[in-house]
Amino acid sequence: MQLQYFLLLAAALFCIGVYGLVTSRNAVRVLMSIELMLNAVNLNLMAFSNYLDPAMIKGQIFAVFVITVAAAEAAVGLAILLAIYRNRDTVDMEQFNLLKW
Amino acid sequence: MDVANLASQLNAGLILPEGIVIITLLLVLVVDLIQGRKANRVTPYIGIGGLLASLGAIAFQWDNPVSNAFLGSFSSDPLSLVFRAIIVLSAMVTIMISIRYVEQSGTSLGEFITILLTASVGGMVLSGANELVTIFVALETLSISSYLLTGYMKRDPRSNEAALKYLLIGASSSALFLYGVSLLYGLSGGQTELVAIATNLAASDQSLGLVIALVFVIAGVAFKISAVPFHQWTPDVYEGSPTPVVAFLSVGSKAAGFALATRMLITVFPLLTDEWHFVFTALAILSMVLGNIVALAQTSMKRLLAYSSIGQAGFVMIGLIAATEVGYASMLFYLFIYLFMNLGGFACIILFSLRTGTDQISEYAGLYQKDPLITLGLSLCLLSLGGIPPLAGFFGKLYLFWAGWQAGLYTLVLVGLFTSVISIYYYIRVVKMMVVKEPQEMSEVVKNYPKVTWDLPGLKSLQVALVLTVVATTLIGILSNPVFTLATDSVNNTPFLKLDLARTGTQPVAVLPEAIAPANPL
Repeated sequence: MQLQYFLLLAAALFCIGVYGLVTSRNAVRVLMSIELMLNAVNLNLMAFSNYLDPAMIKGQIFAVFVITVAAAEAAVGLAILLAIYRNRDTVDMEQFNLLKW
Repeated sequence: MDVANLASQLNAGLILPEGIVIITLLLVLVVDLIQGRKANRVTPYIGIGGLLASLGAIAFQWDNPVSNAFLGSFSSDPLSLVFRAIIVLSAMVTIMISIRYVEQSGTSLGEFITILLTASVGGMVLSGANELVTIFVALETLSISSYLLTGYMKRDPRSNEAALKYLLIGASSSALFLYGVSLLYGLSGGQTELVAIATNLAASDQSLGLVIALVFVIAGVAFKISAVPFHQWTPDVYEGSPTPVVAFLSVGSKAAGFALATRMLITVFPLLTDEWHFVFTALAILSMVLGNIVALAQTSMKRLLAYSSIGQAGFVMIGLIAATEVGYASMLFYLFIYLFMNLGGFACIILFSLRTGTDQISEYAGLYQKDPLITLGLSLCLLSLGGIPPLAGFFGKLYLFWAGWQAGLYTLVLVGLFTSVISIYYYIRVVKMMVVKEPQEMSEVVKNYPKVTWDLPGLKSLQVALVLTVVATTLIGILSNPVFTLATDSVNNTPFLKLDLARTGTQPVAVLPEAIAPANPL
């Protein structure tokens, strides 16, 4: 296997994440799209660390940090989503329009 | 190898300011847990005390010749010290102005201070982070705490909505940033330290990949400093969040963003200096034009300051693009005075909304007759933001434009001058609203203005913060020379900036390569 295939896979996953981010109306789906983007980054890091940096494996350590931070971010995101659902009874992004000029 | 030996080998003492803040936040958490609601009398002052101690530790490190800690992952050079001092000061003033606001909203004060301190730790580490993993973790510490702070009024749908928007846009921009960072890791052949990345990139020829990485990194950074076109979250978040949080976001978080931009772009992308200067020129022009023009149409004070802060970020970018000794120094100087004038403005807005419950600009009409202190403070801060001499903001802009002109950025400086004039118009509009109106033109809210007292708990510290920031805004203008000398010194003593200035040939300095190389491995 060549490094390029992994990078292409990661880039494709990242683009799917961006597409989901732009088109989703459900806020939970937006959060999931962001997770996809972060996982694309993880794939990138793993591929690079495997092919270019097999001795120090800094990329793998980095990926562990990314996973941890992504978990924290998802926790905070879901907590905020829960708060907004209690107040507004919806998670539809287009209904969140209290703030605009 | 024992712990003390290890700590000294890693130069762990250099993160003493962060350590003090972390201990403070744990202390606040524990005291709040033990004492419950009674702790509200104590916790803010523990927080302020801890931040003061941290400021002391920063001042103590000023002349420290050793600047690399943790094998080069963290550098405590004078530039990062200045940024850390700005962040600590902004957190301190934010705590002082938030006590009454948070208590009146009925939410827990201890948790608010804990999250705010966490955010400032994130910003402080980010100012000195010299390695990709450290940068990422510090950036996310700052961001996640900011999302929590934004949504702190959890029964207020506007605060919820602001938090959700901030979280979604912030998380996606940090994912973009991270993708760029992962490309940097790969292009440099598996390095995560900024200096090592730059060395390896220079050795290999990877121009296309490097450009892509640069684009992603700039997207992440521009979001943090809310440069147009990455600014869409700013007005919404500023309007919906609790006002003290906005004060912190507009100063502390933005300063951290500038610290990241300066260190990362200058260290990693010397090969693409022209390209990123070009992109930042575009961002700066767009920010100055759009921020200042849209601000004209605002009716809410918080939204007005949101757009004004977008415009101000554009001015600060001039210093970064000028890439000279004076340029960097004037960027630091402007951020330093921006701290006082913006926080002073927010202190006045918080006080007004505590007494009347509104942020609308039209409601400020005729305030002069009822509350001269708010009127005076807000007028001075807004005029300073607009750049009226002899207030601090005028000298800040003078230095920035002067540095830009010297560096040959004529378009940028002319756009800056022109948009400053526009900005003076909307700042003066508020001042005129407060001062000039006749008694019969007073707004309803001001007619029913409550009697001015400072007896309620938490108002005293708000008063102190207001007076201090306003005095600083006024005096730094006149005493700008020592502060500017300090900023110039910090630029001159920062190894990576020295290297950059030597490379671009604006200032021939003998550079010791060891100064930026990572510390000796164990």
